[in-house]
Amino acid sequence: MAAVRDNVFPTRMNLTMTKTRLKGAQTGHSLLKRKSEALTTRFRVIVRKIEDAKLKMGKVMQNASFSLAEVAYITGDISYQVRESAKHATFKVSAKQENVSGVLLPAFEKDTQQAAGGQFELTGLGRGGQQIQKARAVYMKAVEMLVELASLQTAFVILDEVIKLTNRRVNAIEYVIIPRIENTISYINSELDEQDREEFYRLKKIQGKKKERAANAQRELDEIAKPTINDGSLHPDFAGDFTSAESSSAGVRDILAEQVDEDIIF
Amino acid sequence: MAQAAHRDRTLIAAIGDEDTVTGLLLAGIGDIDAHQRANFLVVDGKTSQEDIEETFTSFTQRKDVAIVLINQHIADDIRGILDEYSAAFPTVLEIPSKDHPYDPSKDSVLKRVQLLLGD
Amino acid sequence: MNEIYFNADAGYLEGIVRGYRDGLITLPQYLNLTQCETMDDLKLQLATTDYASFLQNEPSPMSTSTLSARCTDALVAEFQYLQQNAAEPISKFLDFITYGFMIDNVILLITGTLHERDTHDLLEKCHPLGFFDTMPALCVATTVQDLYSTVLVDSPLAGYFRECLSAEDLNELNIEIIRNTLHKAYLEDFYTYCQGLGEPTASIMAEILMFEADRRTVNITINSFGTELSKDDRAKLYPRLGSMYPEAQTRLARVDDMDQVKAILEQYGDYKTMLSGVGTGASSGGAGGDDMSLEDRFFAREVQLNKDSFEQQFHYGVFYSWLRLKEQEIRNVVWVAECISQQQKDKINNYTPIY
Repeated sequence: MAAVRDNVFPTRMNLTMTKTRLKGAQTGHSLLKRKSEALTTRFRVIVRKIEDAKLKMGKVMQNASFSLAEVAYITGDISYQVRESAKHATFKVSAKQENVSGVLLPAFEKDTQQAAGGQFELTGLGRGGQQIQKARAVYMKAVEMLVELASLQTAFVILDEVIKLTNRRVNAIEYVIIPRIENTISYINSELDEQDREEFYRLKKIQGKKKERAANAQRELDEIAKPTINDGSLHPDFAGDFTSAESSSAGVRDILAEQVDEDIIF
Repeated sequence: MAQAAHRDRTLIAAIGDEDTVTGLLLAGIGDIDAHQRANFLVVDGKTSQEDIEETFTSFTQRKDVAIVLINQHIADDIRGILDEYSAAFPTVLEIPSKDHPYDPSKDSVLKRVQLLLGD
Repeated sequence: MNEIYFNADAGYLEGIVRGYRDGLITLPQYLNLTQCETMDDLKLQLATTDYASFLQNEPSPMSTSTLSARCTDALVAEFQYLQQNAAEPISKFLDFITYGFMIDNVILLITGTLHERDTHDLLEKCHPLGFFDTMPALCVATTVQDLYSTVLVDSPLAGYFRECLSAEDLNELNIEIIRNTLHKAYLEDFYTYCQGLGEPTASIMAEILMFEADRRTVNITINSFGTELSKDDRAKLYPRLGSMYPEAQTRLARVDDMDQVKAILEQYGDYKTMLSGVGTGASSGGAGGDDMSLEDRFFAREVQLNKDSFEQQFHYGVFYSWLRLKEQEIRNVVWVAECISQQQKDKINNYTPIY
């Protein structure tokens, strides 16, 4: 896991870019997490409703079929007649949509045409018509409830899917993308540090060389022209600066010192 | 996921025993289209399982069906197909019948619901 | 009719039918039935009744539809025994009884033909009492036109069809209107026939059939509220007999709601009380809560009339009455069975007891 990182050059620009990406990923993560929570809340409500409705359905359908038994008591068997007179649906549904955190949930609504008896109004004219109409009313109520349950169930299936998807994304960001970006950042940092250390070492080396060269030149000067007081005042300063390292810096060396410091802080 | 096509889905289809279907038809869900296709099937002792399966599949593939109602004891016969069916449209709803009271433990969806509520 | 010769032709059958009557389920037996918890219990209880032999071979989870079918078998077996042993004119009388069932069967076949179904499957659904020899021939007809001519030629109902309907009507009219037109014609014909049988059959059957006619009139009136059935058509469906014919019928043909029906029926003592407890408006479905629905009251009255016909001897009305009582009994048993199988015990007592 720790080894997984993006394949980028460890430059300062990439560092900034990767840091921006990290921020983005974190924002996305928290947004998705909130979405998933909102959906889950909704989901729980629906799940509870489904459970209630399903259990209620048992009762409602029992009543409905009982009302049909009442019809059978009065009129006899009407099923074939009813079946054959069915031509066009008068009880239809229409779908509308509801937006929950960007997910479109369909909700069915009953869409009845002709409030009156419609195609069955004359069924049982001679006997039991009232019971048939009553049974019809009971069944229409039952179907209404079934339609409601169906919308809940559709919402359930869709939400279930979406929540799974969102959770997958949340987890992907949390456990794959963010660690990877973090790995990349620490990789770039460590590379940059390494570069800095190399740079520092190089500078020191150069300075050592310069000092050596300066010392040589001084010695030659001393040997050629014996005492020159003007030069002597400069010399101890110059030497002291390098032997006691950065503690006391001269104006000329300031830039280097600052740069080193900054890098170390990094 | 939600499709634009669901606007055309307006019918309720039904597969059930005689009494259930009669009741649902009384409520007015019955529809016979231009091809003489009915949106309901009465299952009695003589209906073969293939017929039920075929009808169920054709209902779920029709573009104008929004909800498929099926008696639970019939659903039990084609449980395999039903468990595999996971599309949101049309919604398949298991309903009790006169002679077979509702058994929540067999319902595919309710099983999932209870699984989710359980944890 | 001369009572002296009655027993020569009908004595045996009357004895049989009175025996059947004693086989009807009595109130204590009903009480036992309503105490049952399961269908198996019910089956056990029914083993003490005439239905025993028809139920004993049914596998144990018995559905109410099976029960209903077996009970009907029992009824049919008994009725057919009567038919086989009957001579003129009783056989003619018994035939007349079956015409009512035939009408329903033919209507069923017409419905099937109109929707281009395979009518052979429908034969099983027909009521066995309404079965006539040439009925399978009706299944051959594939168009309504064919069917009409076949019915005219081959069925005992030919006369009713010829008088009331043309071939075009079969296509155009609502099937329910056809059914009610035929029933009306049948009722009138049966009435006329009974009047020709002489006393006391004529007067006893008149009472029962007039009640039947009144019931049809009231039902058609109430059930046609708010439907496409025009008031003239409504009037045409009223049987031309009964205590409401013709005066009250003309007025009933004009009414629009339950209150007006009640107002008209005020002058008929029997029906006044019958309607008083019934809710207003057909949409409320008659019965509300515990009180009996109009249909239940009609059933109760019908049972009473049919019971009364057993009080007299030497007439044919007993055959008709027995059949009606038996039908009511089957309805009761099936009702109790439905209540048990659907666990709706609170309504189990809504049957109409006979004895």
